[in-house]
Amino acid sequence: MKKLMCHLVAGYPTMNLSFQAALGMVEGGASYLEVQFPFSDPTADGPRIQEACVQALDGGFTLREGFLMVRRLSRTIPEIPLFLMSYASLVVRRGISWFLDQAKEAGVQGLIVPDLPFDQDEGYYEAAWERGLHPISVVVPTMDSKRLDQLLGLLQSHGERYIYVALRTGITGDPTNLSDENLSFLNMLAAKELKVLAGFGISSYGQVEALSPYVEAVVVGSYLVGIIRESTTRFGGSSPDQGESLKRAVAKAVSTLIHPV
Amino acid sequence: MRARSLVDGYSKQEVGNNPPILTGFFGSFGGRYVAEVLRKPLHELEEAFLSIVPSKEFQEEYQAKLKSFVGRPTPLYYAENTTRLLGGGRLYIKLEGLAATGAHKINNALGQGLLAKRMGKKRVIAETGAGQHGVAVAAVCAHLGIPCRVYMGEVDMMRQKPNVFWMERYGAEVVGVSSGSRTLKDAVNEALRDWASHPEDTFYILGSALGPSPYPDMVRTFQSIIGVETKEQLASLGLKPTALIACVGGGSNAIGFFSPYLYPIDESEERIKGTETSNMPRLIGVEAGGRGPGKGQHAARMSGEGKVGIVQGYKSRFLLDEDGQVLPTHSVSAGLDYPGIGPELAYLGDRGRIEFITATDRQAIEAMDFFARTEGILFALESAHGGAAALRLLPSFSKEAVVVVNMSGRGDKDLFITARELDRERWREFLQREVDSLGDAL
Ligand SMILES: Cc1ncc(COP(=O)(O)O)c(C=O)c1O
Repeated sequence: MKKLMCHLVAGYPTMNLSFQAALGMVEGGASYLEVQFPFSDPTADGPRIQEACVQALDGGFTLREGFLMVRRLSRTIPEIPLFLMSYASLVVRRGISWFLDQAKEAGVQGLIVPDLPFDQDEGYYEAAWERGLHPISVVVPTMDSKRLDQLLGLLQSHGERYIYVALRTGITGDPTNLSDENLSFLNMLAAKELKVLAGFGISSYGQVEALSPYVEAVVVGSYLVGIIRESTTRFGGSSPDQGESLKRAVAKAVSTLIHPV
Repeated sequence: MRARSLVDGYSKQEVGNNPPILTGFFGSFGGRYVAEVLRKPLHELEEAFLSIVPSKEFQEEYQAKLKSFVGRPTPLYYAENTTRLLGGGRLYIKLEGLAATGAHKINNALGQGLLAKRMGKKRVIAETGAGQHGVAVAAVCAHLGIPCRVYMGEVDMMRQKPNVFWMERYGAEVVGVSSGSRTLKDAVNEALRDWASHPEDTFYILGSALGPSPYPDMVRTFQSIIGVETKEQLASLGLKPTALIACVGGGSNAIGFFSPYLYPIDESEERIKGTETSNMPRLIGVEAGGRGPGKGQHAARMSGEGKVGIVQGYKSRFLLDEDGQVLPTHSVSAGLDYPGIGPELAYLGDRGRIEFITATDRQAIEAMDFFARTEGILFALESAHGGAAALRLLPSFSKEAVVVVNMSGRGDKDLFITARELDRERWREFLQREVDSLGDAL
């Protein structure tokens, strides 16, 4: 069984079109959605996602609208777990409690905040668990083993099973090479009964097939941002069918990642 | 964990009631808020910094090169004409801009470059805004024989073409950054990304006292030479400073200049602030007031609307909107045009040890002009913010007071900005002739 976690940037290319793209992902067979709230300085993102964030912010993205969009999504597709990805600046600005309350109310199940690591988290992990939200750590195969053990101990003590693996040392958008190092890392996590979400650089059925046996879901990000960009530039303008055609294009792209052509 | 005194030359007593430990935090500011992929390289950097930099061999090499390559010590100049003209305190200027490549940036670039070499790194990367840090890194890398790549926002590349040209002469590869606002903060983002992709062989030379730990501690350590030297130079004249003034972009020249006088922070209010009668000098940081208050018009984080936040790996005060998005900034001096401030300065500002004020674009340009005519000394526009504050405050001091302003850079680099501001027509004619003569040569 091949499961995908599909990533999108809220507000890219517009609020409504990002909503349509999300529906397309689910239609194409996504099992999880990772909705990124754009931040002006996304240091852990590659060029494509970064560009999408800039465009979403230029289009007037606000947290208020972002949470409204996520709420609409969670009502429309209640069967799909929604994870919210963003950066520390947005999470701490009005207070972590405020941000997490908003997320909870919008129907989010977990959060991914790469620049709030578990041991410098401003209280974010505990606050998320208190609300029944999953704070999902992003780990890398090159991580120091003592540090990893410390994290896994913390997760276990809270019954937290989700973990996000950024494969290869690098930034999203580059090709993924399923090296022995990557695979043994994934196997080690799977042996601990963790639900592993892994990706970075996934763009083909072959990669999804190779990775699927080791993970709960394969994460697809930059590739889909590219699909969304292509589709919206192709259909351009403000055609009333734009939402529909975007949804179809995204659904098709997602589906070809899961099923052999 | 080792004592901060090992790397800084702070004696244990001077560190006083502050924790003499490198924790990476200053109060609640600082830290290492980065994605997991950068934790390991930062940890390795911290280990190398704490073990290599205090060693005798490193210090000998560093001190020798500060002399032969950087041109230290830089002079401490008594601004007699200004003192006579304005009345009030005696003004001294630390001529840091006489260091090689024209600014204090080279103290840090050299220190980190030597560390990179001793760590066996094969490649150096750096970010630059105005280009001063980039030029310093490029020169150091040429000197040390390490390949170097400098990230620079495309907007800055256009504004600071001469520095791009010089970096390339030093053999550096200058890479334009087209993301975000295409300025300094985006160049930092891009350098962090590069480092995350090549952590094993790459050393990232960060240019100011900010970013994830250990950078704020490391950059202060390498810039502390400014303050240590000034203190010695004053002592040789039998003087103690009443007030120190420095411009603040990210804060590296200020924290280095202030470093001998930062701690201890005493609970008695007077000791914190420093007064003319106390042993502690007043410490005054000058931020870019730009075109005035208003969103996007300035870069006043401490004296303006700065909010506590976490950006680019550290917690400090930033110019942020209500959602936490980083706001645009403006300053006539590219080196002060940045939305964040080093965490130690923010901490010391909140504690009241450092006072923060602003100087506007106009005041900085006027101060640059004033010191050129009055003293024969050419301030960089960044440093001229400190100069403007000195001119404003000097008359309020007593005759015995010793006020020292750090001229962090010299003004030659700003020719294309100051000429259009102060001599627009003739500058236009000159440029036009240059363009025409280029055409003839084709
Ligand atoms: C001459 C000069 N002064 C000051 C600065 C500001 O940096 P910092 O606050 O780190 O000293 C710069 C930065 O480019 C500079 O070139």
